[in-house]
Amino acid sequence: MQVALKIWRYDAVKGERALREYEIDAPEEATLLDCLDIVKDQRDGSLAYRKSCRMMICGSCGMRMDGGAVLACKVRMYEIAQAGHIPVISAMGNLPIVKDLVVDMGPFWGKIRAVQPWLEPGYADPGEKENVVPQERADAIHKESLCIMCGCCVSECNSMESNPDFLGPAALAKGFRFVGDVRDQATVERLQSYSEEHGIWDCTRCYFCNERCPKGVDPRDAIAKLGAEAMSHGIDSDMGAKHAKWFVTSAKTTGWLRETELVPKTQGIAKSLKEVKFAMGLVKHGKVPPPFPPHVAKHVSEARALYDLVKEQEVDGADGIVQTEKALGHLEHAADGGEAAQRGPYGEGSFAKPFLPGEEPTA
Amino acid sequence: MRTVAYYKGCLASLSAKELDTSTQALAPMVGLELIELEAVTCCGAGDIHEAEPDYYLHLNARILAYAEATGADTLMTICNVCTLNLRQANHALQNDADLLARVNENLVTVGAPPYTGGVEVVHFLWLISAGEGYELLLGTAHKGLKGLKVAPFYGCQILRPSKLLGFEDPDKPESLERIIRACGGEPIDYPAKIKCCGFPIIQAREDVALAELIQPIEQAKEAGADAMVTPCPLCHLSLDAWQSKLREQTGKDFQMPILHLSQLVGVAAGLDASELKFKRHVVSVAPVTDKLSV
Repeated sequence: MQVALKIWRYDAVKGERALREYEIDAPEEATLLDCLDIVKDQRDGSLAYRKSCRMMICGSCGMRMDGGAVLACKVRMYEIAQAGHIPVISAMGNLPIVKDLVVDMGPFWGKIRAVQPWLEPGYADPGEKENVVPQERADAIHKESLCIMCGCCVSECNSMESNPDFLGPAALAKGFRFVGDVRDQATVERLQSYSEEHGIWDCTRCYFCNERCPKGVDPRDAIAKLGAEAMSHGIDSDMGAKHAKWFVTSAKTTGWLRETELVPKTQGIAKSLKEVKFAMGLVKHGKVPPPFPPHVAKHVSEARALYDLVKEQEVDGADGIVQTEKALGHLEHAADGGEAAQRGPYGEGSFAKPFLPGEEPTA
Repeated sequence: MRTVAYYKGCLASLSAKELDTSTQALAPMVGLELIELEAVTCCGAGDIHEAEPDYYLHLNARILAYAEATGADTLMTICNVCTLNLRQANHALQNDADLLARVNENLVTVGAPPYTGGVEVVHFLWLISAGEGYELLLGTAHKGLKGLKVAPFYGCQILRPSKLLGFEDPDKPESLERIIRACGGEPIDYPAKIKCCGFPIIQAREDVALAELIQPIEQAKEAGADAMVTPCPLCHLSLDAWQSKLREQTGKDFQMPILHLSQLVGVAAGLDASELKFKRHVVSVAPVTDKLSV
């Protein structure tokens, strides 16, 4: 089959970028990575990209196709070529480009290291026997264990684009892989560390990470699990945790969000007083609904009783999310289907721009 | 008339009342009879999912159960965050009989109806951008938007994760564009229309949120938009109310009017000012109303 690709080239020596188009003949089963190999072999040997296993295990070939991060070895080109579409291939976002499609993974590994991705063993020495982890406790970190650290989730993380210091979806998902491991003894220290600034509560819930992950890790869900674990361990002093807590209080008292009280409950009285001028601007337009009389849901006593009942059953912390994964696992991940591969081009600048060496990312 | 259970969520009862009044006024014109749910609570907005996930599941099951008790097969939402939270819980309950059984036992214990899994959660946007709702919209929007340039802003949780939402291509959605065209407006394209408005962290991490928020507003302005439209009241709140913070921080005074989806269609359908309630917006909608002489 005939395949055409447009590739954003970047020459680090001259600091020049250029969009080049290549047409090649490829076998019908070819993946994007196979096509890049053909381009490099037959058209331009200077094209730079990373690859190793060619089978979705090594995580080397993360790059963007039409603005969205993909593993090049996972994308089949047949339907795209048949549709006459010429995809635009570029380097991943939120990481500095080294050359063409190769990014500097240094900042990525730095964040992975920051979550201490190793076991701090805390189980009793089982002596002559094996230390057997029950299946259900292994299942609880199954999804996070699938991560191949390709960086696709980081590429479009909206929070990291605005705050390059954010630990980000890959590192936090890795963090949950250890928080959820029954053999690890550093749970509390980990949760305290991940709850600091640039951690759990920096996530803006844009869900790009879940959308892009080629392995079904669902990093945003892992971040929610970390939040749930932190709060169930009483690690809840961050404004993000206080914000989340107020929704629980609201649901079990009036049923609906007690919207006006949310700001002081999240930010504290002192900080919210500084916002008085801003708040007064909103009052004029009814954006600050008076807290009295409260807006109370009918039969709210059921919601209160439900809270007490649920707490007694002790499906605590992350287990509340893990229990739904069996059902949610039935969903076909969009990135697995042919439809995702048929996405039309969305154009230049659709997503967080990669930044070039020497350029500081704009916060 | 298609009868649907109507879950308006927190903001449409509080700071975004204009979303509720315009939706209720518009519904019969696009073939929808709304049964408003009264005995329901907040969906948790993603916050209870993160703070107390088991409680989140039960609260949402209770909402679904009350929706099912109306006899309707559809629960209509008007907020992205409600849509994702309810669809996520619904999918978990519909596909795990053991989980549904435990949750139902708890619901019944506290006096709520049990849920059998017979409701689909559908956003208002989806009901009027395709099928019968769209056909009716074409006739309803007779007053037109007179070529008004409108920048669609989708927000996140109506597109992603697509395995739970799945109405349209999350990278190249077109439902809002279809509606803008049907109403006689001109959709404006810009890259950040599918990105985050920053709302979930606007209180806890304001600087990060504002750096996200400025992108869609600035791009829409540069692309020549007269106004922006969004299907989510949380996006609406940050886009509308926090524009003044962007002015303070960057000196850029965008004065970009932000419309709820129901208001945009409502203007084209000739809804009354008392239903549109534009006075409840922080950024003046006058440039739009003047242009359309509403």
